Amino acid sequence: MKKRTQCIRLFIDSQLEDIVLVAMAVRGICAITEFSVDEVNRMELCIVEITNNVIEHAYSNEVGKTIEILINLSSDMIEIVVSDWGTKMEKKHLDNDPAQDAMSMDIDALSSSGRGINIVKKIMDDVNYVSSDGKNSFYMSKHLN
Amino acid sequence: MGYQSSQKGDATVVTVEESRLDASIAGGFKDFMMDLIDSGNAEFVIDISEISFMDSSGLGVIVAILKQLNGKGSVKLVGPQKAVSDLFDLTCMDRIFKIYATVDEALNNSQ
Repeated sequence: MKKRTQCIRLFIDSQLEDIVLVAMAVRGICAITEFSVDEVNRMELCIVEITNNVIEHAYSNEVGKTIEILINLSSDMIEIVVSDWGTKMEKKHLDNDPAQDAMSMDIDALSSSGRGINIVKKIMDDVNYVSSDGKNSFYMSKHLN
Repeated sequence: MGYQSSQKGDATVVTVEESRLDASIAGGFKDFMMDLIDSGNAEFVIDISEISFMDSSGLGVIVAILKQLNGKGSVKLVGPQKAVSDLFDLTCMDRIFKIYATVDEALNNSQ
């Protein structure tokens, strides 16, 4: 019998110190899948990076705003959707080439920020960003082993 | 919890006493390190062995330290745990930073 998709929806306030709550939730959910320890670590990194982006860019570090995290777990895939009601992300940020970090080994050319999305794109099988009716949602999914 | 620094010869050994180096504390760590640089320190050995999780904000601080030194110093990293090593690998920063198993190894290696 095919296992049905299980779903959990979490909400946190737009405070950086609260991100650890969703990080631990994602760790816990991933721990019941077939993911290895290394893959669980990487899934934690992804949820932290995307939630960081929401707070820093969509909400400009303003506290008191809502972040929604939806996790869909099926027999062969985990999908995480991080949503906000702040400033929409520009498409160019999603279109960045993940290989760019590797391109420049020149210290002067290195950036001290802006790696989050590329990290997520390297780890996840699929990412997407949808903005509709004031709600912005970053979708990321990965097949289970 | 926090950060400690001590002098070992010419080197400034910084110990990060945090289990997570993420966006919530990256700013404080950056301020701590920039104060050390402003005080004339330039040869850094940073013990990150207590950190079990680092995000791109934490990594960004370490990159910022290197950029601030502007070629007039060095940054050696010590003892990254698996998840932290993986972050350096994912971002190719393992090709930028010298990484050692122990503080003594970092101090004894002049490379």
